[in-house]
Amino acid sequence: MKASTTQTAHQVSARALSWLHTHRERGGLPADTTADLGDPNSVYKPLGEAALAASLVLRESVAGTTELRTARELLDFCWQQFGDGDMLYERLLRHSMMTDPLETYAPFARVGFRHEPLERLLTHTASLRSVRSAEVLPNRRLAIANAARVIGLDQGDRAYDWPALARATWLGGTPEPWLIDWMTGYCLTHTVFHLTDWGGRPAGLPEDLTAYVRAWLPVWIDIWAEIQQWDLVAELMIVGCCLQEPYCEAADWERLAAVQHADGLLPRDGDPVADDPDRRFSDHQHTAVVAAVAGTLAVSRTLGRAAEAR
Amino acid sequence: MSPDRSQTAYAESAAGLASRALDALQGIGGTAMVAQHVERAEDPKAALAAIRVVGADLFAPCLLGGAALHPQDAAAVAQSFAVFPPALSPPPPPPEGAAEPWLVAWRDWATAALLARCADPAEPAGPGGADEGLLAPRPSGAPVLADIAQATAAGAGADLADAGSGTRPDATGPGTDWRQWSVRMGQLSTLALPGLAGPVHDAARAAPLALARGATRAVLRRDFPTAARIVRWLALLKAESVPVPLDPAPLVEHLRLHGGGPRLALDVAIAGRLLATETS
Repeated sequence: MKASTTQTAHQVSARALSWLHTHRERGGLPADTTADLGDPNSVYKPLGEAALAASLVLRESVAGTTELRTARELLDFCWQQFGDGDMLYERLLRHSMMTDPLETYAPFARVGFRHEPLERLLTHTASLRSVRSAEVLPNRRLAIANAARVIGLDQGDRAYDWPALARATWLGGTPEPWLIDWMTGYCLTHTVFHLTDWGGRPAGLPEDLTAYVRAWLPVWIDIWAEIQQWDLVAELMIVGCCLQEPYCEAADWERLAAVQHADGLLPRDGDPVADDPDRRFSDHQHTAVVAAVAGTLAVSRTLGRAAEAR
Repeated sequence: MSPDRSQTAYAESAAGLASRALDALQGIGGTAMVAQHVERAEDPKAALAAIRVVGADLFAPCLLGGAALHPQDAAAVAQSFAVFPPALSPPPPPPEGAAEPWLVAWRDWATAALLARCADPAEPAGPGGADEGLLAPRPSGAPVLADIAQATAAGAGADLADAGSGTRPDATGPGTDWRQWSVRMGQLSTLALPGLAGPVHDAARAAPLALARGATRAVLRRDFPTAARIVRWLALLKAESVPVPLDPAPLVEHLRLHGGGPRLALDVAIAGRLLATETS
């Protein structure tokens, strides 16, 4: 059964990555885009998310040569969209309080795409009390801290207080598991993603929170799968892969594989999928990113578990 | 009377009797609530059937509220067994037998055992020879929670507390996963009372996490009646000082404020009383 979990996860991930790669031009920035970005969530943020998925495929290096090449090309495309980092640099120059240049840059920096002027600027702004004290949601603060950690800024007197950051989140309160809603579900998943650096350091999730997540994750996956919230279900499956003892269930992977379309599109929910190709991409690209990450980590962690068992 | 009409009459009668039991648990209303329910019923047969539906919970005022069992109430319960006699030999547990008659047999046993106990407080309780002479025989078996070790190849390292999570919902073989198992335990919630013991109680004590997951799942699915039934087991375990993975008290209060109907109100009140016995 373990082998089939690994195989199914690989298949879902490879198809989702291929779909993101095939349709990547649909997610390019409009030609007249400036660093000011009237609507950062429309194209800019999704490009960063695609880069994140590709960077984790490269980090884990458990995919086949085709997927590794696809991931590399996807990163190249995203980096080129950002003007090889110049756009992130200009954006931070103009908007010192914004954290998205740091967060967007991190996956590139992780796999060797560097922009030295941007890094010098990030080193400066990330150390400012004004920036560090900006009022953001606790799970968002963790996103910033993890991006800083990836780039190498989480050290010395700029080191983040990770236990305090963890306690400030919804998850940090070990709340009643029977009172969680859709939005809080996303807060929970991101808290785990950033504390563990996307499954790269499972020990980053404190022990009591690991036990808490392990106890209730099967319930949350079950109830959101029942109402076909595939995007959140796949995020929760990433959470399972981020735990010290990974929680990767064959049945969960078979269910996700069953809803994935032949072309690799993974519907975000149970609603009908549009026919228009651009609409299909914009509606479901986030879920493809999530599926690519989930599958990559599931393959990596289940292979690791198999190796330990030998 | 059509079968549908009959079903409706039984359900209405059971709801009315649950309300009476709730009042009695809270010290409201007169004595002999079960007997009154039968005497004042337009359809006495439905009223006698309702006794078996509410079942062992009719003794909650006696067990948790300190009320004495009125002899007329004891007679009414006995009359229900006479009019609707249980099977002489209890049906086998699933998967050998069908689930529903076996669940009914367990609930009947609980009713009969608590009738004997409350009618004669000197009667010894618990497993063993105390089932002699009851109005319903004790069935065998309990809902079986599938072990993760049977469902995954990673069984050697499996956490015992996590039993059942590795099973697919459509799994065949021994036991069911925590979803179905907890629902079935909820169907046996009238056994979650002090003074009863047996394999169903042992199964509950062995799997507090599966119960807590089942209750959590039911609340999130807005299935408050199921949540209220399952939370009774958690409350019973907490009253017995068995560690449970979530605090049942706020969940009981949440269900009290969000759920509806006399059956749920009675479940919630019993759970609340169980928790009160734990803290006192």
